[in-house]
Formats: sequence, structure tokens, C-alpha cells
Amino acid sequence: MLEALPQIFFNGVLVGASYALIAMGLTVIFGLMNIANFAHGQFYMMGGFLAFYLTTELSLNFFLALPAAVAIVVAFGILLDRTVFKRLRGKPLISSVLVTIGLAILLENLALVLWGPRPAAIPNPLSPDPVQIGPIFTTEPRLFAVGVTVVVIALVHTLLHHTRTGKAMRATFQQQEAAALSGINIDRLYSLAFGVGAGLAALGGVLLGAIFYVNPSMGGVATLKAFIVTILGGMGSFVGAIVGGLLLGLAESFGTLWSSAYKDAIGFVLVILILLYRPDGLFRKV
Amino acid sequence: MIHKFQERISGAALAAVFGVAMSSGALAADIVVGGIYPLTGPVAYDGATKHNGAKLAVEEVNASGGVLGGKFVLKVEDGACNPAQSVSAAEKLITQTKVVAILGAFCSSSSGAVMEVAKKYKIPHMTGVSTSQDLTRQGNPWFFRATGTSALLGQAFGPTIVKAGAKRVAFLVVNDDWGRAVASSYAKSIKAAGAKVVATEIFSRDDTDLFPYITKIKTRNPDVVISASNTQLAANVTKQLRQLGVKSTLMGEGAFTSEAYRKLVGKLALGVVGLVEYIPSIDSAKNKAFVKKYKSRFKEEPSKFSAAGYHAVHILAAAIKRAGSTNSEKLRQALLRTDYAGLTGNFKFAANGQAYNFNVFMAKNVAGGLQVVGVGTIPKP
Repeated sequence: MLEALPQIFFNGVLVGASYALIAMGLTVIFGLMNIANFAHGQFYMMGGFLAFYLTTELSLNFFLALPAAVAIVVAFGILLDRTVFKRLRGKPLISSVLVTIGLAILLENLALVLWGPRPAAIPNPLSPDPVQIGPIFTTEPRLFAVGVTVVVIALVHTLLHHTRTGKAMRATFQQQEAAALSGINIDRLYSLAFGVGAGLAALGGVLLGAIFYVNPSMGGVATLKAFIVTILGGMGSFVGAIVGGLLLGLAESFGTLWSSAYKDAIGFVLVILILLYRPDGLFRKV
Repeated sequence: MIHKFQERISGAALAAVFGVAMSSGALAADIVVGGIYPLTGPVAYDGATKHNGAKLAVEEVNASGGVLGGKFVLKVEDGACNPAQSVSAAEKLITQTKVVAILGAFCSSSSGAVMEVAKKYKIPHMTGVSTSQDLTRQGNPWFFRATGTSALLGQAFGPTIVKAGAKRVAFLVVNDDWGRAVASSYAKSIKAAGAKVVATEIFSRDDTDLFPYITKIKTRNPDVVISASNTQLAANVTKQLRQLGVKSTLMGEGAFTSEAYRKLVGKLALGVVGLVEYIPSIDSAKNKAFVKKYKSRFKEEPSKFSAAGYHAVHILAAAIKRAGSTNSEKLRQALLRTDYAGLTGNFKFAANGQAYNFNVFMAKNVAGGLQVVGVGTIPKP
């Protein structure tokens, strides 16, 4: 059993990285913009399906389809914010709950109509054959996903802490009125933030769609995990989303040592325990 | 102003109601049967093939004169392999569409839920797919199962698997009635035949990443891994088993021999053994004709679910003819007297509604098709 520990660890890192990616998007939308986005998993699903469409119907190279799919979802997110969520700013949380649940149903069924219920693997030039690194077995798509996630995390960090837009974002999320008073265009910033949040989820969908497959109902579980990791990590904290995601992924993976049927429950029990001691999550806002 | 509006609305509503009633299609002499298949959700692909098989059978029944002088009409609802949704579908079919019998609902958990509804309304309910043993153990006289159970398949296949050389067997199954039934019944007969069960891993249908479970199986060094999963998950199981470097022979109930599976996994299918009740290459005149017809209609080979859907409709139509009426009790009695020559042998029903007397096959995936490496007959339960 001990010889499997490195594999179990790596399994957990991959799963954790995907959780982190989706949660990073939600922590912005939920933690900072206070929109309980129950359609978050559907952005993840959309990203996957758009990449599938671009690679199969339009024969686009996978490495081009990936950023293209993400860009489309970012644009869609910005549009959504401009048209829908702008009107919900300042309204009670329940409004965004209702709107996003409706949106989730709409997007999922739209995908069902457009692509049918069959799951589709996103064709990509990466090989699905096993790759052995020491005692660990993995595949190129999995390594690619982890690699891209690391790069994106670095990019997001750079955006937030080393650009003016990032500074403006942080200012807006900390103290909206003061930010508006100092000349920051709040509306544009919120739209951008929502777009980026949706885009991060979409990226997760493309990466996982290349490893496994995409299907219209994959959004539900993703939304659930995203909320849990966001709350665990601390709403509004990127570091929290990353650490929380990895923690949950590793907990689930190591949980299989005890009982694989209950691995999800083990993850959730861990979350409950952590929240008992730190009700606001592991980290504070951005 | 408002009165006129209300008048217009009620007039329109009335017209709409008539329109819907007129367009429901079934005339007085038609025999309407309900079908609950998973048309969406994780087993949607297989559900569609089952539906196709049923459609073909309905056409054949009507082409040879229909039933009791009228058309055989199959009204389909989506159960999505979800018990709650399947129950709603059953309620709707029985109370609103007024069907004389129910076929479905594919997944054992859903069929289990639907059979309660059928029992409540005293309507015969037949499944051609659900294999969980529990279903025929509940003393429900309205339930019929036109397929084997994992227990019967386990009894038929266990000794054959061990005879083929298996010494250490691991299970990788879906977390539902079916998967758990496979794990427990095959384990029993395999142990009785002298081999060891070294791991039993149960994954959730929503799990896309199976590495955690397979990692655990790998540490136990099995020579055979037995799985229970349908097309989408079967492909996942196969790919990920090999990606983690597991070299054991893979055998499975479910969709491990279908064309769709072979297309999804490519050369990884070679050597995988399906524990099946039907393959298109069964060498009988009746099956050859069925395959030809199915292929020209649906542009792909029939799956075992196609055969199941096909059998269920024909068995039901024959029973209605035998009963001479659509009276529920007469139909139930007629079903018990079934002796239907199907694509895999003669189907008979035992007193508890369990079918027996037909053949089942161990089919290995080889270059260019499937090779039968073992045959069993389902014994009378």
C-alpha cells in the first residue's frame, strides 16, 4: 500500500488543481461580487463544449481552441454581467441565486439541444498513453492540465498584483464606493471580473474535457465542488481557492486509502471540520 | 376590456386543449403500452439503442397485423436512469396516457422504483435490462424481467472465468444496485470456484477521474478486473485502467462489446471480455435478419440493449395476443405462460417473473469483431 502513496498524492494534486481552477473563478464572482453563481459549473461545461466544437466542427488545433473557447466564455461572462447582473447589484443574494439557477438550467438544456446527451472527448494531439515518471503513472493531458493551471495561477497573481487593472480590481472589491470616487469605472471592472471568473471555469472544462470527456450534465457536480472549495478557502481569496482546492483534492485521494466508496464524504467531512474552527474559511479576502 | 381578454384567453385555452387531445394520436382500437427509457443522463446513449430496438419490434408487430385487431402503440417517457424521474414517468403513463403495460426503466434502481407504481395500479411491468436480483425477490406479481440477473449471470459465468485461469479477481463497479449486485454475486461464485477476490472498488456514476480507485486495485495485483458499467463509463474504466499501467484482463457486464465502446477505446478494446446476453454476431437466422434490419434502419449495429428492447416488446405483444384482452390480470397470466423464441434462445418466465432458459455469452474483443469464448444457459431460478 505504501508504494502507492506517490501515485495517490499525484492523483490528489491533479484533482485539486482542477478544483482550484474552478474555485478561483467562483471566489471572484461569489466572494467579491456577491453573486451566488449556481451556473458556474455550466461555464465550465460551456468551455469544454466550445473547445469540442472548435476542434471537431471547425478543425481548429487544440492549442488554439483552448484559448479561443476560454475567450468566448469570458466575452459571454462580460455580456451577462452587463445585461443581467448589473441590475442585481445591491439586491439581496436570493436574486442572484434564482437568476443563476435559471441560467444553469437554460445553459445545460441548450447544450443538450445543441450537442445531445452523449459525452464527447475533446480531440487533442496529446497522447492518452500512460507516461511513467518514477513510481507515478500519468498521461500527457493530465500533465498538461496541471502545467496550465500553474501558469494560469501565476498569470492571475500577476494580473492582480502587478497591473493597474488588478489594483483597480482589488480596490473595488475592498471598498466599492471609495474606488468609484477615485475614478475607477466600477461597472467595467465588475464585468471584467465576472468574465475572468467565468473564463477560469471554462478553462477547467477544456482541460478536463481533454483528459476525460464533456457532457451537458457535468456542470452540476462542478458547481457543488466549486462552492465548497470557495467557502473552505475563504470567500474572495485566490490563495484560499488554490489551497482549498488542493486540500479537497488531496483529502479525497487519500480518503480512498480508508474507503473509496466514501471518498467524497471524507472530503466534505474535512471541510466541515475546518469550517467549525475557521468559519470564514482558511484565508481572508484578496 | 378585461372581460373580452378573459374570453379570448378561455377560448384559446379550450382550443389548445382540444388540439392536444386530437394530436395525441392514439385511436380507440389501439393498444397503448408505456416505455420508460433513459433518453438523457449518463446512460442516454444506451437508452437510445434500447429505444431503437423497441421501435423496430413495434414496427414488426404492426406489420404482421398488430394486436387484437388494433395498432400496437409505444408511448415513451424519459426516465433518465433516475428513480424519481422514472416514477413520475410511470405515474404519467398509467394515469394520464392509460397504458396497459409498462416497459422499462433500464437502470435497476429506476426499475425498482417503477415496479412499485405498477404494483399500485396493478399494471404489468417488464424490464429487459435491469439485472439487480432484488427486483424479483419482492413478491411483486406484476413485475417481469426478460433478462438475466447478475446472480444468474454470476452463476453462469463464475466457474467459466475461473476455468479460464483467473486466480486473483478485483471488481471496479458503479455505485448503484447493478454494480453492487455484480460485485457481490460474481464474488460468491468465483470464490466457490476456488479463486480469490482481492479488491472491490465502487465508484460513483458522476466520477470522471477513476485513478484513486484504480490506484488501490493496482496495489493488490489482480489478474482479472471485473467491471460493471455502461458505454460512457466502460470506456473511461478501460482507458484509465491502462493509463495507470494495470495489465490485468478486463471483463465486464454492460457495454464492453458494443460498437460504440470499440470506437471510443480503439485498440484498447482488444482482449477485453464482455459478459453479455447478446452480441450481433450470434449465428442464427433470426438474429441475422434482426441485425440486417436494425443496421439499415439505424445505421449502426444493434447493442445488447437494442436486443433487450426488441425482446420486451415482442414478449409483451405475444402475451397480449395470448390473453385475448388488455385486462391486467389476464395479461399477467398470459405473460407467465410465455415461451418466446428470441434472438438468444427461448424465453420462459418463472413464477416470480424471472426469465430463464436463454443463452448468455463470454465475448472477447478481437481484431475485426467479437469471439465467443464461453456460453452458458440461464438456469431456472
